[in-house]
Amino acid sequence: MKPAPFAYAAPRTLDEALGLLDGRDDAVALAGGQSLVPMLNFRLARPAIVVDLNRIDGLDALHVGDDGALRIGALARQAALEHAPSVGRGWPLLHQAVRLVAHPAIRSRGTVGGSVVHADPRAELPAALLALDARLRLVSRAGERVVALADFVRGPMWTALAPGELLREIEVPPLPPDARTAFVEHTRTHGDYALAAVAVALAPGARAAVAVIGAGPVPARSSDAEAALVGGAPAAEVGAAAATGVGDAYRAALIAELTTRAVVQVRA
Amino acid sequence: MIGAPITRREDARVLRGETRYLDDIEPAGVAHAAFVRSPFAHARISSISTPADAVVLTAHDLHVRRFPVTAVDGTELADEGHPVLAGEEVMYDGQPVALVLAGSRALAEDAAELVEVEYEELEPVVDPRASETTLTRWSRTAGDVAGAFAAAANVIRGRYALPRLAAVPIEPRGAIAAWDRELDRLTVWCSAQDPHRPRSQLAHILDRPENAIRVIVPDVGGAFGGKGVIAPEVAALAAAAIELGRPLKWTEDRYENLLAAYQGRGIEGEVELALDGDGRMLALRGRLLADLGGYLLTATPIPPHTAAMLLTGCYDIPAAEVTVTGVRTNKPPTGPYRGAGRPDAAYMLECVLDDGARALGLDRIALRRRNLIRRFPHRTPMGHVYDSGDYERCLDTALALLADSADSADSAGEHPDRLCGTGVALYVERAGGQWEAAEIELDRGGGVTIRSSCSPHGQGHETTFAQIAADRLGIGLDRIELRFGDSDVVPRGVGTYGSRSVAIGGSAVAQAADRLIESARPCAARVLSGDASWNDWAFVSGDRRVTLEGVARVEGGLSAGATFRSAPVFSSGAYAARVEIEPATGRLHVLRIVAVDDAGTVINPLLARGQVVGGVVQGLGECLVEEVVYDEHGQGLSASLMHYGLLTAADVPPIVTAEVASPSPLNPLGAKGVGEAGAIGTLPAVANAVADALAGVRLDPPFDSERLWRALR
Repeated sequence: MKPAPFAYAAPRTLDEALGLLDGRDDAVALAGGQSLVPMLNFRLARPAIVVDLNRIDGLDALHVGDDGALRIGALARQAALEHAPSVGRGWPLLHQAVRLVAHPAIRSRGTVGGSVVHADPRAELPAALLALDARLRLVSRAGERVVALADFVRGPMWTALAPGELLREIEVPPLPPDARTAFVEHTRTHGDYALAAVAVALAPGARAAVAVIGAGPVPARSSDAEAALVGGAPAAEVGAAAATGVGDAYRAALIAELTTRAVVQVRA
Repeated sequence: MIGAPITRREDARVLRGETRYLDDIEPAGVAHAAFVRSPFAHARISSISTPADAVVLTAHDLHVRRFPVTAVDGTELADEGHPVLAGEEVMYDGQPVALVLAGSRALAEDAAELVEVEYEELEPVVDPRASETTLTRWSRTAGDVAGAFAAAANVIRGRYALPRLAAVPIEPRGAIAAWDRELDRLTVWCSAQDPHRPRSQLAHILDRPENAIRVIVPDVGGAFGGKGVIAPEVAALAAAAIELGRPLKWTEDRYENLLAAYQGRGIEGEVELALDGDGRMLALRGRLLADLGGYLLTATPIPPHTAAMLLTGCYDIPAAEVTVTGVRTNKPPTGPYRGAGRPDAAYMLECVLDDGARALGLDRIALRRRNLIRRFPHRTPMGHVYDSGDYERCLDTALALLADSADSADSAGEHPDRLCGTGVALYVERAGGQWEAAEIELDRGGGVTIRSSCSPHGQGHETTFAQIAADRLGIGLDRIELRFGDSDVVPRGVGTYGSRSVAIGGSAVAQAADRLIESARPCAARVLSGDASWNDWAFVSGDRRVTLEGVARVEGGLSAGATFRSAPVFSSGAYAARVEIEPATGRLHVLRIVAVDDAGTVINPLLARGQVVGGVVQGLGECLVEEVVYDEHGQGLSASLMHYGLLTAADVPPIVTAEVASPSPLNPLGAKGVGEAGAIGTLPAVANAVADALAGVRLDPPFDSERLWRALR
């Protein structure tokens, strides 16, 4: 479990990092390393070069912008998200989800951006961000583009990130002031990945979001459940809607139950 | 001192990071090893081609014999000792095929990738029931079993199975081997349970006398049975160190440990009990099938035999017939893992009692109570002689503690939809047996040095053994030093396993201390000019007294040694569990575990409780999540901690412990053993609680939520 040989660079600026990554499909960016380093050690990832982002100033910013959106820099640690009072007040769903990510030691090193780019379909944060309509600011030597998280994830551990491109920032739009949220999951043990999970945000009279882990190959919004939730359907009906089309009976039951519990919580 | 809840003397050193584990040792000029491993569960090796610039050794390069295998109690063994490196055939996914050396582990792994092995795939056997190769066979019949079954008013029976488990010590295995050509002496630092067994295994494999091998066991980060037999990789390393004449190091990583280290359990069985009209047990029949893996390691035959011998548990059953068949499968070998056959026996017996009671409409506690052994010593039909115990008191204590806990922590009423269940199980555990040795030296400055043949790997020997000596000698703990683990320094012994250290090794310390006192008596008599009687930790004669330290000053030091030997002692206990199952998700909530253990005289209740709690948590892991999984091709699917489930502290429910003390008459301390207790009692108690919650539907562990959910449909 030692990595195959690779070159290592620790640029001081974003420009320098983008220069190192430019035009290469054999380079990887290192943020918190909580998934990448094990993959290197298992020799599942065999990059020619690892570009360590940890010495770039300012990438770890976590703040609320003038437009009211939460801006999560690429290097912001999961622990920063967990402990920021502004997140607890404005985006309680992220607060609820991040506390279920692994263990404190991992959250103190792991980044929110890394979790999104790694795109493990069982990870909590991407599902919570999906329910919050997060957008991703991607940069490369060619410039910058903004992609909705829903369009970014293409499959398990597969994203729209192009060679030479870096996730620079995650933008999370503000929730309506009276919005209520819940994140409910089912894991084997405390801190393990979710076998199934449901993120719910409900702003009465305005909108509802239901994002589900475990229904398909990647986390996805359930428009059926959202419609049922907005329409005021009983919790169990929202749950049943979230499980629509899930082939495996156990998984369907799990998703229905977790959704029901989340709906009860946001309506409490 | 005996019975004092002293905190562990070794903890300060451990917590400050001052321990020295194998990987902290780095001799000058050492080369690092990595292994080329079979990617197939069963294949023929057609050729191995190695890169020209790499140091690669295969089976052809090593002068070794296969692993020795313990022929326990007349077990018939196939001649299938584990080869050090694979020769013409590989028998499991991960089996070591070639050893690759380089200046660092990373470079060795790079070179290992360049070794090309051509395999011809063969059909693997994954299901032990489909195996046609028997590796071990054992059976015993005592009493008129057929007659008892023919005359029985009722016969209860059941089939039960335990999956294979991984020991997962926090520190994986490994070794450093260095050969001194001039002295023809091999030194092996080994992360092991003791130095004696690695040395004798290496002596056999390398065909060298034991005195040409020195084994040093440094600090060890846990073993749980998994370090009592050396890894084949360690044997290869030792042989290569002699072949190449340079020091070599192999530190097992987590992946290798989960992939290829020997595993625990992997046993199934059918148990039948003949009962008379009053529910009295007349006879037991058991047929055990053990999934032993590709080859036999030294201890592979032991756990199934241990299970067979304990299958009558704590019940007075006049006749029994038990057979063990160990079969070959294309998986790593099995071997001892905490409990090592004891949980297997308790699981099968205690489950069939619950299932039988339910089927016959009997009270499950009354059925047990009616059949408990009450007189000691008791000879079981399998041939064990139980030394002492009070099984009913254990049972009563557990039931009382379970009843006490019913209202407090449990969520009755809070989740009315949940299915509740309680389970109770008793166990008897063989502990101790054979012999251990100790040497004590009291220097003229008053310092005590004890060299023990036992070897700690987390249990706290530095504390308990010092307590035993302090209690005898009247010398403070701070003056007592323990030496363990170096075959050149400590006396020869059997090994640290099977909950035997205190009863056997601790008794050797006690006897050595007594002999030290005796050896001081003549000198004390001279000093006191009269009869020296030992009283209140000093020699006295009239109103004059002299301490041992005083005698040591006069004599220039004192020393004594003892080898203590006894038949096995039998610990016992009763466990209870309260569980709830969520019907909607199948999630099992273990609300409470009650653990009542009788380990005879307890030297240190704090450490005894630590052992029980640790064992309970491992037992709970077995109940909830732990399982080594193979696909139909014999490929390991659980060789990382992302896949192999382990509980975290947050998953552990309240654990209530209590002691019953029936001192053993077989040793001067009255001690038994408690190292495995928690891992034995928890499993059948939780299994019975789950069956209770499921209204009698019997499942085998792990009781994961999907399995429970499906059982409810």
